Amino acid sequence: MSDADTPVVLIVEDEPDVAETYRLWLEGDYEVRMAHSGDEGLEELDESVDVVLLDRMMPGLSGDEVLERIRDRALDCRVAMVTAVEPDFDILEMGFDAYLCKPIKSDQLYDTVENLLDRSEYDDLLQEYYSLVEKQATLEAAKSSAELTDNEEYRAVQDRIDELQGNLSTTLDGIDSDEDFIATLRGLDDLDE
Amino acid sequence: MTYDLSEPLGFDALTSVRPGSNILVSGPAMTGKADLAFTMLADGSRRDEGALVMTTGDRADEVLDDYRARVDDLDESRVAVVDCRGEGSRSSERTPDGAYVHHVSSPGDLTGIGIGITKSLETLANNGADDGRFALDSLSTMLTYTDRKTVFKFCHVLSSRFDSAGYVGLFTIDSEAHDDQTIQVIKQAFDGMIEIRDHEGTRQARLLGLAGQPTDWREF
Repeated sequence: MSDADTPVVLIVEDEPDVAETYRLWLEGDYEVRMAHSGDEGLEELDESVDVVLLDRMMPGLSGDEVLERIRDRALDCRVAMVTAVEPDFDILEMGFDAYLCKPIKSDQLYDTVENLLDRSEYDDLLQEYYSLVEKQATLEAAKSSAELTDNEEYRAVQDRIDELQGNLSTTLDGIDSDEDFIATLRGLDDLDE
Repeated sequence: MTYDLSEPLGFDALTSVRPGSNILVSGPAMTGKADLAFTMLADGSRRDEGALVMTTGDRADEVLDDYRARVDDLDESRVAVVDCRGEGSRSSERTPDGAYVHHVSSPGDLTGIGIGITKSLETLANNGADDGRFALDSLSTMLTYTDRKTVFKFCHVLSSRFDSAGYVGLFTIDSEAHDDQTIQVIKQAFDGMIEIRDHEGTRQARLLGLAGQPTDWREF
């Protein structure tokens, strides 16, 4: 698959058998890239990567270090940390977007990737929504309400705003989970820095 | 269930407010915006609802002292404060009377605020408050820490969260501290707005949105 709209998942995993299993599970729906160490992972990373599956314990650069560099480069990708044991830290405080405990099942991996793609989708919708609200306010300040009723651009903006409100309330089920809520706010922090 | 927010303004449209509604409380400085929001919050506490305050100005203990004075026999286990005044790092504590207090490093630390709100909602639910009211005082301070795009998105995300949690939210903003475009844009993240003004020596309010026509100005 190399369609430009196909989401790209990067697997960073030092055990070849495990990495291969993930690839087989995911390659039907996504473009899958592989890296066998943290350093290789950073080389493979670019703007086109949507989701990174990052093994926490690797020789060389650890998952935590790779995550830090990803955040430093301000890349717009979502990171799922893969750990061998249930993390003993408060996961809310960590900089990754999701975590998975080994051994991972196929549907669990797929659901996590889908959830992270939904979060990116939500961010994009919210950005478009914000831009249109700005535009609407600008038009309202410049024209009288009579002029606005006949203004095609204004009506198009309003229609799209209504549509986006609907899309935003169904994506991520309207921010139904704590993890989605905190991750979305973290995304706003990252943009702000 | 719906929320009765009609105390103290008396507007009909506030007698049964849908869970998940978020209302902007807008007016010039020193017109009692925070006092109004806390009055509406206190009315919920008298009905055993949860009360969650996010403060950018007063310290958590000042907020709690003020709140105790508003509600007789307050069950403090159903009160939580997210204090964003930025003294020290992220931490949480419980007061001797059982209120939950979460400290965040700054009003611009949205991740910290998100964690504080999440833990507060969880604590209130564990103490039996499945529904509740939220007050944020104030968005104007947040706007000095971060830009309006971020504050707009923050309000939208928070509104969505309260929608699924079944809470109602009240957010104060100083209408004269920002340009018209900022107020217009921020307004769009809310279901309704209570506007406050001082008019010929009296304090007045009107309600806009919440699926109704703007009301007339009413003294309160």
